[in-house]
Amino acid sequence: MNRAAYSLLLAAILCGCATPEVPKSALRLPESTLDIRSIQTRTLEASSETVILAATIAVLQDMEFNIDRIEKPLGVITASKVSDADDKNQKTGLILLDVLCAMGGGGGCDASSTAKDDQHITLTMVVLPNRAKAGEYKVRITIQRVIYDKMNRILVLERIDTAETYQTIFDNLRKSLFIQEGNT
Amino acid sequence: MSRLQRLVLLLGLLSLAGCATTTPTNIAGGGTQLETRQIQTREYDTLDKAMTMRSVIATLQDLGFTIDQADAELGTITATRLDQYTMRMTVTVVQKEGERISVRANARIGENAVTDAETYQDFFVVLDKAMFLTLQKVD
Repeated sequence: MNRAAYSLLLAAILCGCATPEVPKSALRLPESTLDIRSIQTRTLEASSETVILAATIAVLQDMEFNIDRIEKPLGVITASKVSDADDKNQKTGLILLDVLCAMGGGGGCDASSTAKDDQHITLTMVVLPNRAKAGEYKVRITIQRVIYDKMNRILVLERIDTAETYQTIFDNLRKSLFIQEGNT
Repeated sequence: MSRLQRLVLLLGLLSLAGCATTTPTNIAGGGTQLETRQIQTREYDTLDKAMTMRSVIATLQDLGFTIDQADAELGTITATRLDQYTMRMTVTVVQKEGERISVRANARIGENAVTDAETYQDFFVVLDKAMFLTLQKVD
């Protein structure tokens, strides 16, 4: 038996059967909570909660999302889409793939130009009526994504925190709301 | 093979053998039923189930979750957080006798159930604040 095999066995002894521990801060609010909340939230005025929900559905369809679930009494819409990560606007996943490749010591790391990675994006929108002021609603959107490599292995799990992304969606939502109000 | 090599081999095989798990535990879960419920449950003095559910949803969003599904009638909310690891939570809101509402949360990280009381305590600290704000507005 070679030295490498002994090293592996020794590592097994030292590591034992450790299971991953729950991160201590798993359900504590991070310091960035208020910043992220303000990026993800807008106050909108509308004639009813239904109008906001309908306007949101239209915007999500514009952005090529599928609506997975709607729970109207709670003002919750969940939507998702699978898109090619090799998108001009979404290079992050492929750049990471190249970084991983380079870290692995492999040559010819040109995944950015050839790999066809998918990203699974999930989005939740929640409408909260302001009980103190009729016709005013707080709308909060949260987005997450999983990026897979071409072997269907998970490359990245992340929450989207970029302010521009949310700003674009809310801009579209305001326009959609304007149209929706005109139709009702 | 030297004596040391034999010892390492023996200890290595023993440590690997010790990792075996049995299927029934993985289905029914570990821990006692009552203990688990106590850790995962908190009661609130309110009659408003819908606003309690909205507070739970706001709490989950603050904690970085997206809502997979919510059912107002059954009082169930399931959410997922993707952040290096995958964490899933299911929160159930049930109307109890005596103008009280019970909120039960359970969480998993990847393949492992979250069983430590501290993590649930952290969740309820955040929910307490959200509930307080919600109830203030209602009053």
